[in-house]
Amino acid sequence: MKILIAEDDLISSKILQRNLLNWGYYVVPARSGAEAWQALQDGELRMTLLDWMMPGMDGIEVCRKIRRRKKYKYTYIILLSAKDRKQDIITGLSSGADDYMTKPVNLLELRARLQTGRRIIDLEDKLLFVQNQLKDLASRDSLTRIWNRSESAKFLREELERGHREGVPTGVILLDVDHFKRINDFYGHDIGDQALLQVVSRLKKNVRKSDKIGRYGGDEIIIVLPRCSSSEIFKIAERVRLSVAKKGIKTELDMVPLTISVGCAASDVTGILSTERFIKVADEALLKAKSQGRNRIVVANGLSTRKQEHKNA
Amino acid sequence: MPDPVHSESSQPIDFSTVLERIGGDVSFLQELLDLYSQEFAEKKHLLEEALARGDSTQIQEVGHSLKGASANLSLAPLQRLSLAIEMAGRENDLEKARQAIGALGTEFIRLKTFLEVHPLEELG
Repeated sequence: MKILIAEDDLISSKILQRNLLNWGYYVVPARSGAEAWQALQDGELRMTLLDWMMPGMDGIEVCRKIRRRKKYKYTYIILLSAKDRKQDIITGLSSGADDYMTKPVNLLELRARLQTGRRIIDLEDKLLFVQNQLKDLASRDSLTRIWNRSESAKFLREELERGHREGVPTGVILLDVDHFKRINDFYGHDIGDQALLQVVSRLKKNVRKSDKIGRYGGDEIIIVLPRCSSSEIFKIAERVRLSVAKKGIKTELDMVPLTISVGCAASDVTGILSTERFIKVADEALLKAKSQGRNRIVVANGLSTRKQEHKNA
Repeated sequence: MPDPVHSESSQPIDFSTVLERIGGDVSFLQELLDLYSQEFAEKKHLLEEALARGDSTQIQEVGHSLKGASANLSLAPLQRLSLAIEMAGRENDLEKARQAIGALGTEFIRLKTFLEVHPLEELG
């Protein structure tokens, strides 16, 4: 565990450093408030011993600055001071310190109080971990672990805005598994799930690193493609379609053939900025691919969807 | 009650307390005492300059910092005299500060002598 010692008195600082090293801390020393603040820009520095009286910025001011900042994990602060009147202790704690110790510090007491600090930091870490897990749960599809509908729509909105700002096209692909209902009805939902998982796994291998895959609903999958023009989107869609079609999935009964129909839209052709309309255009292209016989790609053009047929592999 | 500025009957350093504080490391104590001696010389000089200028704020600040360093090394008499200097500075009592600074110099010599008579090597 890293710990900052902000102490202008060299002897106090050396004694503290020696003991903290012996207790297994990694010590970062600072000789003034300004130096301490500089060192605290390191987000992994989460424990601090702050001397109240320091030249320039004093410990109280450093404390207040720490508490005002955002985006940092919790910093546990023990304020050290020779001031031992009740009012001083209250002022010190009110500035945002977690604990207050009078100097010269009793080292056994310091060691015990640092343990308290570590408990608080551990608690925060656990909390953040759970929070991240919850966030992940709330933004991913539980079966396939790809992004869910609302998260995918968010990505698309962000990419459309960014693409517009930077003058680069954004693409979106909507696809679904051909005859998915039939697979489910005939082989059961387990095989249906397997089919979906297979499709997702093949998609992942065939899109670009920057592309984001999400489950838009049922067997409908969305891919958000940053920096992607209508000519590029077709190549990617074709790669994806072929990767799915090349092999079916094995069941106890037989091999189930697996194909997808794909609808694409790219903003350099559609000129659409609204996320909803952009998805709708891609969805129309997908419907067209279905109605034209499935296992094919349709890329939307400006006004209506442009037919771009590609026969079965 | 004895006058803290003029009579120092206690030992200049409490070895057992300071060694407990630094885990019994005698060579580390030697290092710290050398550091203290260097800082003491600088701070004494600062105090004398401040006294000559009548700068009571500086007297208070240097007294405060010397007090902390002395406390850390369990130099009780030097700690008390540093406190007296800090207080004199705060009260803007230059005469009291002058006396305390004089006594501080004497006490430091007493510490040095004591350390010569009781070398740290004998503590281990």
